[in-house]
Amino acid sequence: MMTLTINGRKVELEAPVTILEAAKRNGIDIPTLCHHPALELWGGCRMCLVEVEKMPRLQTACTVRVADGMAVRTETPRVVAARKAILEFLLINHPLECPTCDKAGICALQDLTVRYGAVAGRFEEGKRVFPEVVDDPVIVRNMKRCIMCTRCVRMCDGVQGASAIGVIEKGARSHIEPFSGGRYNCEYCGNCLAVCPVGAIMSKLHRYTYRPWQMEKTVKTICSFCGVGCTLRLEVRDESIKRVSAEFGDGVNNGLLCGRGRFGYEYVDSPERLKTPMIRRDGRLERATWDEALDYAAGRLLEIKKENGGGAIGGIAGGRATNEEIYLFQKLLRAGFGSNNIDSIARLGLLPAQKILEDIFGQGAVANLISGIPRSEAVLVVASDPTRTNPVMGLEVRAAARAGRKVIAIGHIDGLRRHRTRRLEAKTGPGQETMIMAGLLSELLKIKPLSGENPEFEEAIKAWGKTLPGPDEVEKATGVSALLISGTAADLKDVSTSSIIAGRELASSMDIRTNMMMLAALGYILNSRIFLISEHPNEQGLIEMGCSPEMLPGERPVDVRTFREKCEQAWGAGINPEAGLTLMEMIEQAGASIKALYVMGEDPAFGLPSRGRVKEALGRLDFLIVQDIFMTGTAAMADVVFPALAWSEKDGTYTNLEKRIQRLKKAVIKEGIEDWRILAEIGKRAGLPSRYRGVADIFREIAQVSPIHAGLGFESIEEGGVLWPYKGKPLSVSSSPSSAAGRFPGSGKAVSISPPPDRNVLKLVLDKPLLHSGTLSTHSDALMDLTGGPEARLCPETGGKLGIADGDAVKVSTGEGQISLRARLESGLPEDALFISNDFREAGAFELFGYQLEPESKTPVLTVQNLKVERL
Amino acid sequence: MNTKKIVKTIFMTEILQGMALTLKSLFSPAVTRQYPKEKRQPFPGFRGQHAFVRDAKTGKEKCIACGLCGAVCPSKCIYIYTKEDEETRKKTIDRYEIELLRCVYCAFCVEACPVGAIALTENYEYSDYSREALYMTKEKLLDNWDRFMAGPKGDEYFEKFWTPKQQSFRAHDDQAVFRPKGSNGAARPEADTRPEGVK
Ligand code: SF4
Ligand code: SF4
Ligand code: SF4
Ligand code: SF4
Ligand code: SF4
Ligand code: FES
Repeated sequence: MMTLTINGRKVELEAPVTILEAAKRNGIDIPTLCHHPALELWGGCRMCLVEVEKMPRLQTACTVRVADGMAVRTETPRVVAARKAILEFLLINHPLECPTCDKAGICALQDLTVRYGAVAGRFEEGKRVFPEVVDDPVIVRNMKRCIMCTRCVRMCDGVQGASAIGVIEKGARSHIEPFSGGRYNCEYCGNCLAVCPVGAIMSKLHRYTYRPWQMEKTVKTICSFCGVGCTLRLEVRDESIKRVSAEFGDGVNNGLLCGRGRFGYEYVDSPERLKTPMIRRDGRLERATWDEALDYAAGRLLEIKKENGGGAIGGIAGGRATNEEIYLFQKLLRAGFGSNNIDSIARLGLLPAQKILEDIFGQGAVANLISGIPRSEAVLVVASDPTRTNPVMGLEVRAAARAGRKVIAIGHIDGLRRHRTRRLEAKTGPGQETMIMAGLLSELLKIKPLSGENPEFEEAIKAWGKTLPGPDEVEKATGVSALLISGTAADLKDVSTSSIIAGRELASSMDIRTNMMMLAALGYILNSRIFLISEHPNEQGLIEMGCSPEMLPGERPVDVRTFREKCEQAWGAGINPEAGLTLMEMIEQAGASIKALYVMGEDPAFGLPSRGRVKEALGRLDFLIVQDIFMTGTAAMADVVFPALAWSEKDGTYTNLEKRIQRLKKAVIKEGIEDWRILAEIGKRAGLPSRYRGVADIFREIAQVSPIHAGLGFESIEEGGVLWPYKGKPLSVSSSPSSAAGRFPGSGKAVSISPPPDRNVLKLVLDKPLLHSGTLSTHSDALMDLTGGPEARLCPETGGKLGIADGDAVKVSTGEGQISLRARLESGLPEDALFISNDFREAGAFELFGYQLEPESKTPVLTVQNLKVERL
Repeated sequence: MNTKKIVKTIFMTEILQGMALTLKSLFSPAVTRQYPKEKRQPFPGFRGQHAFVRDAKTGKEKCIACGLCGAVCPSKCIYIYTKEDEETRKKTIDRYEIELLRCVYCAFCVEACPVGAIALTENYEYSDYSREALYMTKEKLLDNWDRFMAGPKGDEYFEKFWTPKQQSFRAHDDQAVFRPKGSNGAARPEADTRPEGVK
């Protein structure tokens, strides 16, 4: 306990903090410029000077820690004079262009000058001048305005971990520049411009089209690009989003964003947005009124149901729909049309992976807090790059590395290249992750004492682990040295808490069960929080809301009578007791047992592997409904197209990868009908009464039907969302204490691991671009300017062997199809991998990938045959 | 009723007093103007209909699209939509509208403008039958300048009424540092780094 006085006020503190922090806690404002709560202390601007009794000089409040008995004064004439002097110095070189500076109104320098500054300066020499740099597609640098607080550099270095900018030159000429020169060559998170206190680094999007005070509303909502679910603020003028920002202290992301979230919002204003419903007449899609389209859609579906039964209708939902929409969607199919054929893109990995883990540990096995990652002693990242797919979660891994935690990466993980502790990642070839994990696990089982918390489970993993290949075998199979593996295991020996982050690559594998069991075992041994990477903002919602053939809302199995009855009661209609077809099965059955498909917010003709076959299958359907915001490939084939509203135009909830339910808020009013209303209207026509006045009513019904959501109210979802377990009851499978062991499926059997692929053969790997998320973001001009277009990434050595130079146009073909795109040579990539993403409309990797269904979970496992790369 | 009042009533003193005033006025010069036949010359600095200053050098508006006029306007009748000029990369006006029907002619906009780009002319004759005619656009405002303020009149207007006096922008006497020798503390006008046109 220490006592001090600030401005004569007595302040008591438990632990020493900075004077600034102590003052803030007591409501005393000390002005700052270079200090930022998210950044390391610096003490460079001297704006926060205060007088401390018995100390001869003024002290910087942001760095000096309080001591017992200190007497601090924050606004004495001496302090005020010093602040004024500092401002005068800053303004010596500052252009007085507030009238046209986009920062004016929210500029710290401007505010402080009003508060302390002199009306005019007396410096007679000229000002330093830097030309404005507008070469970059999204960031404008105006270094005349820079006050050298280095907040941006500390952000880029110390938080983002990209280290892309630095202070260049010295003295009065010092300024900030990206190491790449005029244009940035960085992760484009824009976190630097978020911390710049002045207008020196600003977003180029909507530049000069607003002033902060002209914004008509600021709406706090959730990002629509990935499963992290960052909180962001949309600033709207004239029903158009002008700026996306995040406040430090807000949400999961604590004010940080990635490039998609910050610069990717323009797609909502794209002129290509669908505006009216359309119906196919004489082979052509023509505009129709809402009533026509709704009547036609419902009528045709009912006809098909009458002729072929409900089982002839299927539904596919995408991961950007809200919980309420997803819930209504599955209700419409199950209760309105009597079909359990309903699935989503979560089938591509998250759903099966999560289900296996939940079978072992119970519901909520992956509901862990992202903020816990940097606090774990070790972080194991397996087979996918969180810094690309879930960038803000990736930042937490980097934070862990910076804090000296052990970060182990298995598989090729670019974004952690400078942040991991063992070089396992560089050695692992594509497809070898399972093997390496097995080696690590078997070694750990040998050397790490188990906690004894659940002896039966420990027995089970030990027995199972015996059959795992040891480091030596792994070395033989993969070429990764046994020493490296056992060294890594030794690193993890004393770890008592850890985090494991795993991605789709582990799930989209014939070894999915083995992979997940290994994750579970590692999770137990290392006392881990497990995170599954989630590409879409509401993938978790797809699972929880019952958008899968085998599960009702609340993840309750559809074949259990009591669960079914509960829904039947609420919906007033019977539910088919048999699980329906999964995603790829529906596509395969198109034209055969499946006659009609309802696709909501997804583009199967582009987003599923074996594109040629999928398209053909969709063509065989009798009836196809697509609800989307753009004319996607699937929509172009549809019989009825409903224009959907974008994420900024509707209310609802999203559930992020931590199982945190968060509110999506309507920021922009757009003509059109909310997606839930479309579903409810069709439901009405199919005999499902709809009493909803808004999304809150739907949420109320969800809370009634889904046991895990029981007791939740839409209005009660406040800031920060609702964390797992929500108020309801997770599914309890068995009451016996050793149930985890019993549910460790396959224990006792020898582990089967498919042999890792040959490292001498070039492999196609599904890439995940940092700045794109599905084809949606390709409608955002800024993001397109940043990325340019589809690329095939490979390492220079492989490029050399194939005779391909950086920037060459190449043709890539497989047994499935071919695409042409630009080659990009990047050092550090594995030599046997060719990375192509499926996010660009012009050329997507799913044209090349085939698939094979994993027999148990029906996950499509990507396959490639006859990969050929040629220069064009 | 007292006697005084009775006398007043009987002799109709008050009416006679009134008549005397009428008689006096009969012989004094008339003050009524026969508007609209006879027009009044407004005093300089009169706050009439708005105009956008046309820069003699460029022939274009002087406005730098800062939006301060709209921000200060108490009746919020100035709407400004801005954009980045493709060529110069500077901020320019996309749409500039004043809804005259709501304006209270306070001239705060003129006062707030950092570059002297907006003026209130002496024109007060602009009533009309449609609302549209009273929504001013950039073109109409520039036109007003040519009609009512062109030539030395405009310069004089700003010179006389809206140029900030250097002396009122003096530095504080207690300012801390770097007082050049022999200086009395008066600030020098800013050098070249302000946006074009800032005075
Ligand atoms: S950075 Fe701040 S002080 Fe500088 S011109 Fe912009 S608004 Fe004015
Ligand atoms: S955008 Fe992000 S990565 Fe790029 S310079 Fe700024 S902070 Fe660094
Ligand atoms: S660019 Fe902004 S954040 Fe960076 S040093 Fe300059 S003023 Fe500070
Ligand atoms: S894309 Fe993901 S990490 Fe990036 S801002 Fe959006 S939610 Fe956050
Ligand atoms: S204050 Fe002057 S420069 Fe600024 S927008 Fe208004 S008229 Fe234009
Ligand atoms: S805020 Fe303390 S020195 Fe800058």
